[in-house]
Amino acid sequence: MALDFKLPEMGEGVNEGELVRWLVKEGDQVTHDQPLVEMMTDKATVEIPSPASGKVSKIVAKEGDVVKVGQVLLQLDGAAGTASAEKAPTKTSAPQPAAAPMEAAAPQRRQQTQQHTQQRAQSPGVGTSTISPPVAGADVLATPSTRRYARESGVDINGLSGTGPVGRVTRDDVVKAAGAGTGAVSYGFPTMAKTGGAPAPQAPAIRPLPAGPNISGQNAEERKPFRGIRKKIAENLVRSKQTIPHFTHVDEVDVTNLVQWRTQLKEQASQYGIKLTYLPLIMKALVATCREFPAFNTSLDDEKHELVEKHYYNVGFAADTPEGLLVPNVKNVESKSILQVAKEISELADKARKGKLGPDDMRHGTITITNIGSVGGIYATPIINWPEVAIIGVYEIQKKPVVVNDKVEIREMMNVTATCDHRVVDGAVAARFLKKFKERLSNPQALLLEMI
Amino acid sequence: MKQVDVCVIGSGPGGYVAAIRAAQLGKKVLVVEREYTGGVCLNVGCIPSKAMISAAHFYEKMKTSEEMGFSYSGVKVDMTKLQTWKKSVVSKLTGGVGQLLKANGAELIQGEATFTSPQELEVKLQGGTKETIKATNFIIATGSRPIQIPGFEFDGINVFSSTEALEISDLPKRVVVVGGGYIGLEIGSFLAKFGSDVTVLEANNALLAGVAEADCVTVVARKLKKKGVKVLLNAKALGYKKSGKELQIDIQTEKGKETLPCDKILVTVGRKPNSDQLGLSKIGIKIDPKGFVQVDKQLRSSIPHIFAIGDIAGQPMLAHKASREGIIAAEVIAGHNAVMDVKVIPAVIFTDPEIASAGMTSEEAAKAGIEIMTGQFPYVANGRALSVGEGEGFIKIIANKKNKVVVGVHIVGYEASNLISEAALAIEMGATIEDIAGTIHPHPTLPEMMMEAAEVAMGQAIHIFARPERERPARPTVRP
Repeated sequence: MALDFKLPEMGEGVNEGELVRWLVKEGDQVTHDQPLVEMMTDKATVEIPSPASGKVSKIVAKEGDVVKVGQVLLQLDGAAGTASAEKAPTKTSAPQPAAAPMEAAAPQRRQQTQQHTQQRAQSPGVGTSTISPPVAGADVLATPSTRRYARESGVDINGLSGTGPVGRVTRDDVVKAAGAGTGAVSYGFPTMAKTGGAPAPQAPAIRPLPAGPNISGQNAEERKPFRGIRKKIAENLVRSKQTIPHFTHVDEVDVTNLVQWRTQLKEQASQYGIKLTYLPLIMKALVATCREFPAFNTSLDDEKHELVEKHYYNVGFAADTPEGLLVPNVKNVESKSILQVAKEISELADKARKGKLGPDDMRHGTITITNIGSVGGIYATPIINWPEVAIIGVYEIQKKPVVVNDKVEIREMMNVTATCDHRVVDGAVAARFLKKFKERLSNPQALLLEMI
Repeated sequence: MKQVDVCVIGSGPGGYVAAIRAAQLGKKVLVVEREYTGGVCLNVGCIPSKAMISAAHFYEKMKTSEEMGFSYSGVKVDMTKLQTWKKSVVSKLTGGVGQLLKANGAELIQGEATFTSPQELEVKLQGGTKETIKATNFIIATGSRPIQIPGFEFDGINVFSSTEALEISDLPKRVVVVGGGYIGLEIGSFLAKFGSDVTVLEANNALLAGVAEADCVTVVARKLKKKGVKVLLNAKALGYKKSGKELQIDIQTEKGKETLPCDKILVTVGRKPNSDQLGLSKIGIKIDPKGFVQVDKQLRSSIPHIFAIGDIAGQPMLAHKASREGIIAAEVIAGHNAVMDVKVIPAVIFTDPEIASAGMTSEEAAKAGIEIMTGQFPYVANGRALSVGEGEGFIKIIANKKNKVVVGVHIVGYEASNLISEAALAIEMGATIEDIAGTIHPHPTLPEMMMEAAEVAMGQAIHIFARPERERPARPTVRP
């Protein structure tokens, strides 16, 4: 029979995902754990492995579909030899009388199946699978809904130790087991997987111009599906731009000291195996400034009409990846050393490039920094990472002639912008905020005074 | 020839439920029924027997309510009219089943089915024509029938099965019931209430052997005795002969052979699965030594695209078990990850008073090696029970001593059938006796007894005095 393979849980709070790409097609022979499909959820892309070996008889969900957890993705035919069928019950306690008749019947069933192979060939399709999901033993305490949930998540509830009262297995226990893939028989869980590395550098090629004057031909336009991470990014940006009245305050800061300071620190940091960029220093300066201006580390709860002032500082940074813009954040920057922050930034950036960011890496940000200085430009007007209320832009550091004490000097200059939610932050506040932020950037040693 | 996704054979509480669920899940469904829509349960089982039992109970109440100040003279029951009322109840329900099937898009045909191959069913329609049904999946839900014993073949004249007994409109004066199981006791009790002189023969040394907690049975046995029903244990029926207008039944008891005169014999020694029909052996479906179609936890038979549910698929032979299995089979066919994964199948016996149980008896708990704690609360200490004049019986709650998790509940008494679901829920949820005791039960109601039984187990009941076992003082020692 065909095993209906449903979209399993892909993480806490993730209820649906967009089907990015099928990795198999109808008629393919697949093995247990072989990646079947790429699903995109809340900015993270995961590959969903096959619950069993068998033949893909029918692909139900289409690329681009938004699939809810529990919805059928594909049908697997002759799905035998699944994890659940192969593995013995993980329990070591007394044998379960309930399960015994079934097990005793199994070998006979297999013989029958062989006898009837020919007949089955005439009636393909439903009803011939030998997968029987595990049944809770007599001494397993779990509500019927939890038992069902375990079954549908591919977790053998008999292998779990419950954390609830008197050892009840709770839904959370099952969620954890499904996530960890331990202590339980799994029929397939999503794993964070690669979605393609950075493209190899290529020599610039001269693009041929469209041939001839026949622009109206069928090659004049090309339609490509707009989906996956690109679509998710688009949705987030539209929501932000439609909800938040944006304004941007622009200023310029003398970062000569910062440049010198970083050059010194860079060498010391390298002894810890850390490549020190400007970003951790800027994050520290930003957090210190946010402490002075709590409005910047806030979100607006539109439904409850409440401002949520956060006493933790999870600073996001825009990462340019082959898949598009991703915004991971460093958690609790206020309680971490510059070295720690630097280390986490480089880890997150690495994950972003490899497409390995998890939803948690991108969730719960409180303010964001965007840094496109390496590409060029004077300044930009970025879009706020909703529901945050501000995004701080830092740009290319350039040597410029600056008047210092009535003399023209060459200084290291950088533009800086604060793009804010005008519902929460007013222009004058943004200007004062940026002034204080600039002071910290131009005199970074002062950060020592505020160091934790 | 008809080609469908799912062909359900039998329209009882297993079959029609399976058909509706399969149709809901988008399958093209055909139901084949040879006799009556709704099966034994609706037509000649659960429903008509409850109609007769409640009528008998009502009749008895009328005659025994003098204490409340009522006085009656000439209370009579018109059995023919009672049968008409009973039939109207049945037809309302069977009509409802037909409508539900139709509304869900499942087709129902009348006829006798036989498998000609694992993929094909031949149905002999009522007119005599034959129809071939091809289906991707079959669900066998053809149930069970009363067991006959040699020398007592059902003839509908002298020897009745439960089916004929429920049709009685001419009350027999003397009835011998062969078999002291739940069907015999349910029917025997209502016949006795209407005025028959009833004798129950039971081959075992106890009534309701193995189906109910022993002390619950004691309460029922006491009531039977009080109502004048004679119970002969360790007694076997050997044969009968007709002598004039009456029947003479030969029996073997501990004391020796005896002959009892009677007017009708009711044989209720159990039911057997209808696995000898349908051509099941011909297509090679595995049938166990007791005659049940072997199925796995997903109700799949040895031929994987053929499912079996309900009485034909194993004990306990209960309608609600069949219905659940029907749902699971339909879901498995639709590709869902479903399985029969329940902790308890509650059971109800409509004797007087009723017996209901969910989970383990104390005996079963002991066998499973569980150290138990129990709490028992009597009906006589419950305000509601007394105010409806039903002070007989008790609720007994059995918990695992180690973690106080409820493992079984046994009730004997008025409305036990309507009280047991709370116990089933508690066991499915893994509730402890503290959970039950900690839930406010409204006053004055019968379910308060569940709460109080839990409190008894914890040694803190309000409405009866009971110390928990461990705190009971040791026997007084003899002082010098």
